[in-house]
Amino acid sequence: MSSILNEISSLFIPVIIIGVIAYGIYKKAPVYDYFTAGAKDGLKTCIEMLPFIIAIFIGIEAITSSGAMEFFQKLIGPFMEIIGIPRELTSIIILRPVSGSGSIVLAEKLMRTYGTDSLVGMSASVMVGSCETVFYVLALYYGVTSVKKLRHALPAGIIGYIAGVLASVYLSYIMLIS
Amino acid sequence: MMNYLWAGMLIIGAVFAAAKGNLASFTDGLMSSCGDAVHFMIELAGVMAVWSGIMEIASKSGLIGKLAEFASPFMRFLFPKERDKDTIAFILMSFTANIFGAGNSATVFSLKAMERMDEQNGRSSLASNTMCMFTAVSMSMLQLVPITVLKIRGDLASPNPGIIIIPSILAGLISMIVSIAVCKYYEWKEPHL
Repeated sequence: MSSILNEISSLFIPVIIIGVIAYGIYKKAPVYDYFTAGAKDGLKTCIEMLPFIIAIFIGIEAITSSGAMEFFQKLIGPFMEIIGIPRELTSIIILRPVSGSGSIVLAEKLMRTYGTDSLVGMSASVMVGSCETVFYVLALYYGVTSVKKLRHALPAGIIGYIAGVLASVYLSYIMLIS
Repeated sequence: MMNYLWAGMLIIGAVFAAAKGNLASFTDGLMSSCGDAVHFMIELAGVMAVWSGIMEIASKSGLIGKLAEFASPFMRFLFPKERDKDTIAFILMSFTANIFGAGNSATVFSLKAMERMDEQNGRSSLASNTMCMFTAVSMSMLQLVPITVLKIRGDLASPNPGIIIIPSILAGLISMIVSIAVCKYYEWKEPHL
């Protein structure tokens, strides 16, 4: 099952590139000229984005490397257990929305400590596989726009994230008892 | 809002670092993260150039128009106000790249889509309903094969690394449905934006 899915995933990019170019040739379009014009445009976007990316990166680093994260973990931990979430997962639940790479390192550590197929290990795996880096995405995506007020983009992201976290833990629990 | 959020992150970080005596590693972290940001951008620049080029071909040769028509029932539900075919194409490509785990490509398509939506929104300081729905769906977009996690589980000798695929897809779906519902609720309250 997973190897078939893996195959499909690795075919995705080549199929699209070949498909688009073949269609262009079939329509007798100057594909090389179009490509370079588009690429130039893409690089311009990159330069425009760089200041925002630097700002986001140092903001996230400030929170993670200062030890502020650990404080929030201790604060929230007890509440987690009330809703059936193991306390050990608190750190990854807080880190996941801001740092993709950081949460993956943390998931690895949790799996190493508690076992890959324990409730903690499985929930961490499912969370990394299904929950997105909400705050990072919002900061990056809206960074390229002139938007200052995010309106419901923020609640939609946060509520969706909480739903994803709860689903990850409960589904892992179901998988383990079945 | 971004002003307060960003300032808050840095100030809270600095205060905690000082209180915990972490100031040296805090400073090192900040300085190296600036470099990381530039590295990230350079890596992204290549992917950005390639996909922008490929999408330009698809757009000018008419392929995007066809693709946008094909997916329109689904897109009309999520983005009832979006008419621009190129924007729809970027949104679609971003979703598909996400599903197939092509993270960098997905980022590129999303940023392009956001730029176009911002233009259609008249560079307003208020996010449009379309933008909110787009970010909500991208943030909860599921990935068919979470390759990184599978690799970690394999390396740690899990008896069944792939057991998490189905729960991941289900959890992603649940999170996506909830996000869409929240957006639809706000759209119903403020349909004009």
